[in-house]
Amino acid sequence: MPKKQVALECICALLILLFLYASVSKFLDFKTFIGQIDNQPLPNSWTPFLVWAIPLLEIGISACLFFEYTRLIGLYASLLIMIVFTIYTGIVLLHFFPYVPCSCGGVIQKLTWGQHLFLNTFYVSLSILGIILQRRIYLNPIQITTKHSLV
Amino acid sequence: MKKIKWTILTFAVLLSIGSAFATRPKPLQSNLYYWNGSGYMPAGQFGVTYYCTSSTSTCTYVLSQGVYTPYQTAASYTPIGVTTPTTKPTPKKEKQ
Repeated sequence: MPKKQVALECICALLILLFLYASVSKFLDFKTFIGQIDNQPLPNSWTPFLVWAIPLLEIGISACLFFEYTRLIGLYASLLIMIVFTIYTGIVLLHFFPYVPCSCGGVIQKLTWGQHLFLNTFYVSLSILGIILQRRIYLNPIQITTKHSLV
Repeated sequence: MKKIKWTILTFAVLLSIGSAFATRPKPLQSNLYYWNGSGYMPAGQFGVTYYCTSSTSTCTYVLSQGVYTPYQTAASYTPIGVTTPTTKPTPKKEKQ
């Protein structure tokens, strides 16, 4: 198995770990999650949509990352969602909102907003690296197979 | 080659679901309290009315047989800024 392929599998595994853990945690404590979304500086009318959309989107991305056929879509989706989360975290840290809301999702809620920003930036980088690797493997499959057979 | 791929991804799936179940909050039989400097006050709902920020003190206590026992430690009680979600400050754009 080429090193690039192993690295890509590990990147996808780390992304799946984050998204699936976050979504299952939300469903396991759904009542609290509704309260937490209500507490975000967003209109409360968005809550019924957001409480289902966020965890289902995370599960959807995990499913896309799992299968090779949909992996690139999953990587782009995870990059997009992580960029959105990072911008939101940055806005919170800049005290743009009238108050600082809770950071939510399983043990992730124990992180401070600064730590959250670090985690999000790490996962944004991971998604970018995953896209680069996936595109290289997809565009040069013969070259990688040849290299592998030489090793 | 495919075996390694499936092993890594299946491990990630199982680990994430297992961790989510392992770290889910345990339902409490009694309410949580915090020390406000002069007495114990009901803490409210974690993540909704308060959260615990890292520090050396105790965030919340649980009342057990008349004794307040530390529950969420190595953190300090931090009100989120609202008492209930319905009293949330109105965003600026709604005021305009």
